[in-house]
Amino acid sequence: MDNIAAAFEYLDRCSKCGSCQAVCPLYGETRAEPFVARGKIFLLKNYLERKLDLSPKMKEIMSLCLLCKACTYQCPNKIPVDELVMQARSEIVRKKGMPFVKKNVFQHFLKNNGRLSFAAKMGYLYQRSGLQWLIRKSRILEMLGHDLAQKERLLPRMAGVPFRNQVPRRVSCREPRLRVAYYTGCLTNYVFPNTGHAVLKVLQEQQLDIVIPEQWCCGIPALASGDEKTAAELAQKNVESFNNAGVDAVITDCASCGQMLRKYADFLGTPESKNFAAKVLDFSEFLDKAVSFRVGDRDIPVTVTYHDPCHLRRGQGVVEAPRRLIGSVAGLRFIEMKEPDRCCGSAGSFNLDHYRLASKIGHRKVQNILQTGADIVVTGCPSCIMQIGHNLGLNNSKVQVLHLAELLSMTYADE
Amino acid sequence: MLDASIVAEMKRIVGEENVFTTLEERLCYGYDSTPEAFLPELVVRPDEVGEIQQILKLANKHLIPVFPRGAGTGLSGGSLPVKGGIVLDLTRMDRILEIDEENLVAVVEPGVITQHLQEEVEKRGLFYPPDPASLKTSTLGGNVAECAGGPRAFKYGVTRDYVLGLEVVTPQGEIVRTGGKTVKSVTGYDLTRLYTGSEGTLGVITKIFLRLIPKPEAKKTLMAVYERLDDAANNVTMIIKKGIIPVTLELMDDRTIHCVEKHCKMGLPLDAEAILIIEVDGQKDLVEKQAAQIAELCRANGAREVKVAEDEKTRDEIWAARRAVSAAVVQIKPTKISEDVSVPRSQIPNMVRKLKEIASRYRLNLVIFGHAGDGNLHPNILCDKRDPEEMERVEKAIGELFQAAVELGGTLSGEHGIGIMKAPYLKLETGEAGYDVMLAIKKALDPNNILNPGKIFGSESNG
Ligand SMILES: Cc1cc2nc3c(=O)[nH]c(=O)nc-3n(C[C@H](O)[C@H](O)[C@H](O)COP(=O)(O)OP(=O)(O)OC[C@H]3O[C@@H](n4cnc5c(N)ncnc54)[C@H](O)[C@@H]3O)c2cc1C
Ligand code: SF4
Ligand code: SF4
Repeated sequence: MDNIAAAFEYLDRCSKCGSCQAVCPLYGETRAEPFVARGKIFLLKNYLERKLDLSPKMKEIMSLCLLCKACTYQCPNKIPVDELVMQARSEIVRKKGMPFVKKNVFQHFLKNNGRLSFAAKMGYLYQRSGLQWLIRKSRILEMLGHDLAQKERLLPRMAGVPFRNQVPRRVSCREPRLRVAYYTGCLTNYVFPNTGHAVLKVLQEQQLDIVIPEQWCCGIPALASGDEKTAAELAQKNVESFNNAGVDAVITDCASCGQMLRKYADFLGTPESKNFAAKVLDFSEFLDKAVSFRVGDRDIPVTVTYHDPCHLRRGQGVVEAPRRLIGSVAGLRFIEMKEPDRCCGSAGSFNLDHYRLASKIGHRKVQNILQTGADIVVTGCPSCIMQIGHNLGLNNSKVQVLHLAELLSMTYADE
Repeated sequence: MLDASIVAEMKRIVGEENVFTTLEERLCYGYDSTPEAFLPELVVRPDEVGEIQQILKLANKHLIPVFPRGAGTGLSGGSLPVKGGIVLDLTRMDRILEIDEENLVAVVEPGVITQHLQEEVEKRGLFYPPDPASLKTSTLGGNVAECAGGPRAFKYGVTRDYVLGLEVVTPQGEIVRTGGKTVKSVTGYDLTRLYTGSEGTLGVITKIFLRLIPKPEAKKTLMAVYERLDDAANNVTMIIKKGIIPVTLELMDDRTIHCVEKHCKMGLPLDAEAILIIEVDGQKDLVEKQAAQIAELCRANGAREVKVAEDEKTRDEIWAARRAVSAAVVQIKPTKISEDVSVPRSQIPNMVRKLKEIASRYRLNLVIFGHAGDGNLHPNILCDKRDPEEMERVEKAIGELFQAAVELGGTLSGEHGIGIMKAPYLKLETGEAGYDVMLAIKKALDPNNILNPGKIFGSESNG
């Protein structure tokens, strides 16, 4: 491991009290000790003491973590298990290499917006061309196994034209209160352009000078899979581009991107990265803190509940802001769900790698949502939207999942 | 390693995915909340009693040791696979079978998490009082096997007081049913009590009948600060003499207060020798009256400051101090040896003094907190497992600490059990004759010594 001494200190702080069992979503579904923080820490300790090697089993266990930080918050010693697991994954990549597919995605596509756009385009064509219909109909996927067929459905519908190509690079107004940059994240750009339009709409209503600088994947998918090198290169590019934009704040609509962007400071450790990271704010926190938020006049007579993305609540400490913003909408009824901060099971590509387990976790989230009787579940992360939407669909539920920006944008009268 | 045919047979019994064979998985079932760890040869995760019967029959025939395990939060090493063999993980059996509101009985499987049952019965206006601090994770099977207690024990008793009946699989794989839904039962020996607290050495608990009571209407919490420990102890006695039985009477000593304050900055007084956290519950008006009486009594008799929680927020703040203890004390040193000696209530000040004297003689970091109502103290030694010289001093200090408890008319373990951690000291308390009776029971029920061998009696039970 990179920093063996530091990791050791953390591992030694685990008193094996087992408190993490109470909150780990994976343990909740499996009751299996290797998946809970305590088990992972014990295994890593054995690895550092050279009593274990990086076997396929070890790899599997380390891949089974949602990086949701629930354990860290419960832990009396605040052990950052997600960080340790990511370190372990990096160690595995260093010693054993990357799986071929992921390697290609990370090292070729993510670093190159042209290629990424092309891939998204192909995905879009696949979905639109009828090929998708044909393949689904033909039951080829079913023949390949149940999981694969379900996973195919989990794949998002790609946007025909990426969001950033649909909008101008700068949207200004008279006497702007602040100059801000919008970091759109890959999912908004390629899958959920509506979220992007909603974010822009709401920001415009706040009288801001908004720029959308050239930008790249935040790097978290690579880092979470152990590819530190790719993640660092992406981080570097983003820092340069956004620092050149000369803005007061960098706003993100994706909880996972936001957490990662803030982490650039420690990850890269340069003065530039610190300068950048200090400006990053989640969409909700920005509206709640940095400007006196102006909501639209329109009544939205619906019942709403809210899901806390792990990387927003525990990753960035943003808890009340989205709730206050939802509360500002006229005519709306808010009902808090049970366990609003329990992970929905998406965790980047976790739901693709471990479909069944992710679905069980998603099922619990869906039950909690349905119990509230809400018409709409609002959240602040596109991955959560994908995972929750998919699991609501499996339940044939009519409940809609919206990004907070989409809800807020509905309050403004159309021009 | 176990014979391949045995592994195959286990897989046939519980299904392939419920048998763990890899080194990585087995390592994760070799520890509990003590600093110790061992390596089992196999982990088997049954889902119903029939499977457990088959597993035990097979193990008994081939003389393979079997170690029952709940959540693995034990503090005496009860679930540790000290002789390799099979860890029998009971967490998959986690169904609440029935909550009988007419007869105030819950019937549960052993893997149900303590808090889960509490939440379910409280939804129905009922109450299951035993509240080990580990209740968010510990299993009811583990609670029964250790006869777990908790802060509420002084008023409501310990797990034993709520177990009405059990279904147990013997080491030979037969099913024994004891007690049942009735509060009274005197048919033959009281096997329910024998199995309760037997630490998984006599049988595997597969079903539990638990007594429930109506949920108290209200509760009220107070915190009292003392310059002298003796005043705190005297106050406890005075409160009880007044005829008030608080639910909890939690004591924190000066070192504990220091640790919590340093770690969490809650504004606790650093010059105090003791803090008491007192909670009363029951009918609303009675609770108000008792809280006022207690506050007055404490103020008049040595308490420097008394804080009464008038709202939920203050109540949370008070309890936050107590809850922070575990985390705060490990900041001193990483290894925490938690003991749970009990002494008669009146001996608390003497015991605390004795403990401090022992700690200073062996140059050890010791913090004391615990349940002042029932005399169950938790002296915690903070040390570093990697320092053999220090660990030797710890070992000696623990021996003296047990000796002191027994001399003051107390017991080695109020609630954590003997396991392996206290096995060497058992005779201190039971004497030869008591020890022989216990060993005779173990030998009669488990002649091949396959069920949780090496526990309670240490290595001597190797028959
Ligand atoms: C932070 C913390 C706080 C704690 N606070 C308290 C407290 O306040 N009061 C208290 O009493 N204890 C406390 N404990 C100790 C521990 O939680 C209890 O002893 C608890 O009852 C153990 O339950 P478990 O499910 O973890 O059992 P395990 O640790 O898995 O096993 C404990 C024993 O029970 C046996 N066992 C488990 N299930 C069965 C079964 N179905 N049939 C037969 N034998 C079985 C095992 O063989 C073992 O001997 C605490 C522990 C921690 C880590
Ligand atoms: S980060 Fe989440 S999934 Fe991973 S061990 Fe912790 S609680 Fe479990
Ligand atoms: S809660 Fe923290 S200290 Fe306790 S077992 Fe889990 S990781 Fe270890």
